[in-house]
Amino acid sequence: MNRIVIAAAVAAAFVLPALAQDKPAPPSWQQGKPAAQSESTLHPFAIEMTGKASKDLPVDKLKVPSGFKVEVWAEGMPGARSMAMGDKGTLFVGTRQLKDVYAVVDRGGKREVKTLLKGLDSPNGLVFNKGTLYVAERNRITRYDGIENNLDNPPEPKVIVDNLDPNKAPGHFWKFLALGPDGKLYFNIGAPGNIVMPTYNEASIMRVDPNSGTLETVALGVRNSVGMDFHPKTKQLWFTNHARDWLGDDSPHDTLHRVSRKGMHFGYPFCHQGDTPDPEFGKNRSCKEFDPPTLKLGAHIAPIGMRFYTGKMFPAEYQGNIFIAMRGSWNRTEKQGYNVMRVVLDENGKIAKYEPFLTGFLLDAKADPPMWGRPNDVMVMKDGALLVSDDQNGILYRVSTAK
Amino acid sequence: MIAALRNATALTVAFLFSAAAAAADPNACAACHGEGGNSTNPAVPSIAGQPAKFISTALYMFREGYRKDPQMTPMAAQLSNSELNELAAYFSKQQAAPPKHRASAENAKAGPELAKKFNCTQCHGPRLLGQEQMPRLAGQQYDYLVAQLRAFKAGKRGELDGNMTAAAQAVPDKEMAALADYIAGLGAQ
Repeated sequence: MNRIVIAAAVAAAFVLPALAQDKPAPPSWQQGKPAAQSESTLHPFAIEMTGKASKDLPVDKLKVPSGFKVEVWAEGMPGARSMAMGDKGTLFVGTRQLKDVYAVVDRGGKREVKTLLKGLDSPNGLVFNKGTLYVAERNRITRYDGIENNLDNPPEPKVIVDNLDPNKAPGHFWKFLALGPDGKLYFNIGAPGNIVMPTYNEASIMRVDPNSGTLETVALGVRNSVGMDFHPKTKQLWFTNHARDWLGDDSPHDTLHRVSRKGMHFGYPFCHQGDTPDPEFGKNRSCKEFDPPTLKLGAHIAPIGMRFYTGKMFPAEYQGNIFIAMRGSWNRTEKQGYNVMRVVLDENGKIAKYEPFLTGFLLDAKADPPMWGRPNDVMVMKDGALLVSDDQNGILYRVSTAK
Repeated sequence: MIAALRNATALTVAFLFSAAAAAADPNACAACHGEGGNSTNPAVPSIAGQPAKFISTALYMFREGYRKDPQMTPMAAQLSNSELNELAAYFSKQQAAPPKHRASAENAKAGPELAKKFNCTQCHGPRLLGQEQMPRLAGQQYDYLVAQLRAFKAGKRGELDGNMTAAAQAVPDKEMAALADYIAGLGAQ
């Protein structure tokens, strides 16, 4: 009797992989698509690898609140994403789909764009600190010392940490990079697919000591965060997170999180948005086991860069607000997002207001594609203006108070 | 043999054009890709009516060396982003000619299921007309389709995201030929 059971189990073990091969795995963005949506034609939107010129785009559709103005600040940087400002005024811009890092140099009011670094592997994350540019690639974090003195001849990078992507799985392998108040570099390791069980260091936020290379896990259960910043007063880490796809137009929400202690777990892949168990991975777990988000941002809005506003230019009520760039949906029948949002916190750090700040990229929510541009990162400039990158076209916009 | 001869001719023509014509002149492309981008050379793909983003992305990859080809690499090398965009806009607006290829009855029947099974339709669309940065496959040259699929399977064809290299691994050689035969005979509209 037992022998028959074992034989059957052995046979099953051999037959199952054969059956799995019968239908080859779909591309990673289709992973987790339920049978009920098998005929869905929703698909991601690709960026313009060659960029687009602002003169060929409806930039006049961009809108900011009364008292502000928005203008094209620099262009010709295909795939422009994360931004970091150098001490001497060089703006560094990273890319995800390309292999380049750009430098924008202000020459007497005229901005010159150059490709600073080439041939990198998804150099999405950038931090500038004390003369050094730190770059987070797919697999490693490196440093370029004295970069602003060597823009025409950048030095060879020194590796801080390597082998961050040993599985080389498709999914969310690009990294954001932020400098913590502790002098450590914070970054994400995204989930290797839409909805999959992560391995030990995936779906996390980690930090590395740039001097020793020592790694620590900061938070777990984070599907994919490509935007983070530290509260100017509490110094706590806040970050944006992309929720899973293929669970419908209105669920789950993308989220904003606050890390109040080390080792928090925000639920992925078991629980989404703090209260929605995953239909597959959540079956034997409870959302009560996990830490909830601070704010639900909307379903399929794709929040990327976020920064606390600490500049001197905007009106006083903007002090300590959070700006969030939303890259916008694809996995939704009617598209939404594609705005820069403003989050107002009250004195206790609770969410007081959540409203659009820069809009106009979305042209027709039902069209394919629905937008002409996609906000990706936000950065507060030294004079207090807000820079917004648009990776769809490779353009940077500047929002300032109108004079 | 004939294909090789055609390639040699195309290479010479391309060289003459690249030397003589303005860099972003669509006529230089038409020398190999056919009038209006409708190729009559089995080894050269039709680019008429392809999604503009596919054309600009392909040219970008040739220029940057992420995709390599003895004819295309030098053609793309000198072109700026705005020139690539102009060529992409031009050829995306050309009318794709109906295919001359006729699939065997057997492959025409089996094709739709094969295209679904091997995930072709997941990205290239239900009728394989292409979208975004992904090319229209319907009505493409048979020899070119087979060559690309083989190169993807061998890990020798540059791409941006690895999806085609991954997808091609699952396609046995026999079904690759059947799939290409079916696709090459599909209407491009």
